[in-house]
Amino acid sequence: MIDLRFDRGTLVLGGLGPDGFGVGIPAEPWTWDPRLPAWRCEAIHYSRVLPGLSRRFGDRLVDEVPAPLRVRWPSVGLPELRPEQREALSAWTARGRRGQVIMPTGTGKTEVALAAMAATGVATLVVAPVRDLMYQWHRRILRGLGFDAGIVGDGLHNLKPVTVTTYDSACIHAAELGSRFGLLVFDEEHHLPGEFRREAALFSTAPMRLGLSATPERSDGLHRDLDWLVGPVAYRQEIGQAAGRTLADYHVVRVPVALTTAEQVRYDDASREVRSFIAERREEYGKYSWQDLCAESGKDPEARRAQRAYYAKKSIEDRAEEKLRILEDLFRLHAGERTIVFAGSNAMALDVSRRFLVPTLLAHSRKRERLEVLEGFASGRFPAIVANQVLDEGVDVPAAKVGVVIGGQGSTRQAKQRLGRILRRSGEARAILYEVVCEDTKDVERSRQRRRSDAYKGPGRMKRKMGRGLFG
Amino acid sequence: MGRVAVIASDQAIVVFDRGRAIPDRLTRGRHGHYLELAERMLAVYRTGPGRTRRELHRSVGGVFADEPDCPSRRIAAFCKLLDDAGEFDADPDGYAARLRLEVFALAARYHPLVRSGDRLYEKDEAAVKADIAERLGRSWEEIDAALYADVIDLQRLGSFRGFDGPDALLSAYNVAQLQACLYRAERMAVVASGDFRTILRHAKFARLLFTLERLGPSLYRFGFSGPASVLAETRRYGVNFARFLPALLACRGWELRAEVRTPWKRTAVLELSDRDGYRSHLAPPPEFDSSVEARFAEKFGAERDGWRLSREGEVLHEGQSTFVPDFVFRHADGTEALMEIVGFWTPEYLGKKRETLRRFGRHRVLLAVAESALRSKKPLPEGVLSYKTALKPEVVLAALEKLRGRP
Repeated sequence: MIDLRFDRGTLVLGGLGPDGFGVGIPAEPWTWDPRLPAWRCEAIHYSRVLPGLSRRFGDRLVDEVPAPLRVRWPSVGLPELRPEQREALSAWTARGRRGQVIMPTGTGKTEVALAAMAATGVATLVVAPVRDLMYQWHRRILRGLGFDAGIVGDGLHNLKPVTVTTYDSACIHAAELGSRFGLLVFDEEHHLPGEFRREAALFSTAPMRLGLSATPERSDGLHRDLDWLVGPVAYRQEIGQAAGRTLADYHVVRVPVALTTAEQVRYDDASREVRSFIAERREEYGKYSWQDLCAESGKDPEARRAQRAYYAKKSIEDRAEEKLRILEDLFRLHAGERTIVFAGSNAMALDVSRRFLVPTLLAHSRKRERLEVLEGFASGRFPAIVANQVLDEGVDVPAAKVGVVIGGQGSTRQAKQRLGRILRRSGEARAILYEVVCEDTKDVERSRQRRRSDAYKGPGRMKRKMGRGLFG
Repeated sequence: MGRVAVIASDQAIVVFDRGRAIPDRLTRGRHGHYLELAERMLAVYRTGPGRTRRELHRSVGGVFADEPDCPSRRIAAFCKLLDDAGEFDADPDGYAARLRLEVFALAARYHPLVRSGDRLYEKDEAAVKADIAERLGRSWEEIDAALYADVIDLQRLGSFRGFDGPDALLSAYNVAQLQACLYRAERMAVVASGDFRTILRHAKFARLLFTLERLGPSLYRFGFSGPASVLAETRRYGVNFARFLPALLACRGWELRAEVRTPWKRTAVLELSDRDGYRSHLAPPPEFDSSVEARFAEKFGAERDGWRLSREGEVLHEGQSTFVPDFVFRHADGTEALMEIVGFWTPEYLGKKRETLRRFGRHRVLLAVAESALRSKKPLPEGVLSYKTALKPEVVLAALEKLRGRP
């Protein structure tokens, strides 16, 4: 008897000796595991190796890998797909239901995935980057397919034939999740190819896979592995194609702020401390970098003080008082319009919340609160909300007209995603994104980086205004 | 058995020096003054109930203000260990969340709260907050303090279990750093000269697979790894190695060698042995499983009539199932026989034992069964001895001699 079974993210083929495939015949993807002893490979190869094994061993092969459950959707109520969504779905289906769909933020990737789930009717695992998104998928599945999906992550472990999870949880529990699903949906799939996280795809037997992203490219080049972890790109729509059709146009307004005198004094003191410390060391050792400083901070109280001064600088910049004042102006200017504030840190988000008594969406917020906040924001009960970077990607915020970025790092993807958030079409209205940045500090540099990202290079649709005049 | 205290990878300190991984360790020699620092940290937490996590961590940072030898990760690791030895009021009933939704809903109609009022916004921030405070019947300061009491940094310490003194805190720190170093491990090997049962049992608890190599009488090398380790180098099982470690630290006569991935994607080696004197929170495994075994070993002595006795001296295995008989007898002529004692038993236990013996039947195994456990009066099959209250060495020797000289 030759038995094929699932073992914690891998497949084990028992009953075949080390020469079982024939001497000199490559056993790829199998590896001989002398510990059992048996042949072993990653679970991802399941649908590829099964036909060959069946042909070769016929009735002697006992396949003990559990078949994914069929799912009957209690009540399918999905909106009709737009032409490009239909195109994406049929391209993915034509590729054997294994592949990637690349569409800009706000063009309805979720609907494509839900339609795919409705059509396949098989046990499905949806993997999202953060908890907010995981809960959002849970809501969308309930609303669109009538299924109350299980949740793995955020302290919950409730496995069902349809389950939503995060990349981290999917990896940690890959051994357990790997044999239960027929379809995997990777939302914001550029999170998948990391050394550890890829195991969410590697350790699963699921034959059908759908990857979704607006920006699959990674600076480390690992996005190429998506071609086999998920499947080749089945459909791609560029951001330029979408703007003006599905997305509203937008303004970007930069609002420079100055530090208060007291902050400036503290900032300058801290800068001086860092600079003079580094200068001193450079005189002594030649090259001396930030890494050297961090390495030394354990042995040298002076280096530790310089390190602390550096963090103090960042914090002064991040939580500058003037930002709160500008925020008041912006809130006044847009009274009655839904406004979302992006803070650079939890501390700043809490500052804003406590000053203006507006709700926050933070990493620690529980599901119920999150839901109430988002619903309250949608219904207008809460005129504004403040989020930290947790919301960076694709979280389904009710279309806001006004966005204010008051801190945070300026990576390309973050910028794109942030824009996408408030650029959702809402009638004819154009959205505005304010960037409140400290003058003469690193904040300005980050804003420049944001602008350089291609999301800003709309085909002449974007109007730039300098903020100074507005608040003069 | 206490709870296992662990730290996060970003609190780990490992020095990589010429291919060796050296986890941070505080020693009496170089860090004698840490006893006093540990005592002060414990005092911070002992008097800490009511204070927020952030305040406690600042105070712990303060303990080290003038300490030249102290990386910030070390402070963070101490904070984690101290946090874990206490209970924080995490607001499980969601009181803070309800309060803030109520406050925000009340404040919404005044949005935005302006610093100073004007014709458009008559009430300023302070006035609105005072209004809300009045409606809720508490002072604004009180509300403001409770508003985000559930944020991890702002949670307040409820009680502190603590450690058995400052040296226990330092021991826990050393073990935690060792474990954190193992998070980076791709594989791990243990050479052991005893306590095989404990080692294998805990490896199984930690869901590790093993390979086994007999290096000599009562000397084995175990290779530990996880299912996917044969397919690719992975650090996935580092957590399992770390979970296994405290049990190993409690054992006697072992050496560990782990291959650890450096941040520069090279491999470094972590080497460790029972002589390094790390202190486990687990008790050492008992010398004998039962008093029958203990008394037999005592009466038999180390050697009798040319047979040397050793406890749990050999490991039999087939694939991943193992059998470590209670005793091994080795005769001067090279004959080796194993003996397993069955005292107290249940039908399931006996069934399992029978299965094990069947599986390893090709070895010379004696089975000693308590008379009270025998149900039938039928004569015993060969290799099975019975005993009343104590197992007599003469009976065993007779059985051993029968085995000797047979192929």
